[in-house]
Amino acid sequence: MKNTLPVLRAEAGWSQQDLADKLGVSRQTVNALERGKYDPSLPLAFKIAQLFGRRIEDVFDPL
Amino acid sequence: MTTNPGASLFGSYYFALVAALVGNLLIRMGAKAGVLPAWGPATLAVLSVAPLVIAAALFWRLLRRDLDEMLQRIVLEGLAFALVVYIPVAALYVNLRTAGVWTPRLDPPDLLMAPALLVAIGVAIAKRRYQ
Repeated sequence: MKNTLPVLRAEAGWSQQDLADKLGVSRQTVNALERGKYDPSLPLAFKIAQLFGRRIEDVFDPL
Repeated sequence: MTTNPGASLFGSYYFALVAALVGNLLIRMGAKAGVLPAWGPATLAVLSVAPLVIAAALFWRLLRRDLDEMLQRIVLEGLAFALVVYIPVAALYVNLRTAGVWTPRLDPPDLLMAPALLVAIGVAIAKRRYQ
């Protein structure tokens, strides 16, 4: 699943570790999310969207 | 948050597994040399497995509380890999042995190590998938 996580994170000026700490996940998980290797659960997807003040569909693209 | 599940989860587990294997070795050596009292082998058998019980409890706690969803998935995929490989191979081994076909002789340490190695291989494969 494609996502705009790297862009949003860069705009916020956060490192992967910063984002991982804010989400309560490991840096490896953030890396896998950004590379589209891992699709998050619904609760984690909501958490990510809320953190950036976006809707889920603005962050994640199922295509 | 655990960032290195391989080391933190499996380090204590493999140490405990070695303790069980050493216990097995001591029981066999002791029995061969005849130096153990009557209660010795059974006591060694129970004591040598105690670290595995502790490691299992730690493993369970780490899996349930300390790993995030992706790391949990990696560990569970590793366990699933071990299960789907070990059970058919073990069944094949047992049936071939029952049928009288030549099979390598497996000692208890081999049987203990096989699932542990398979879990490690499964976790490594799953980690690669998500990197």
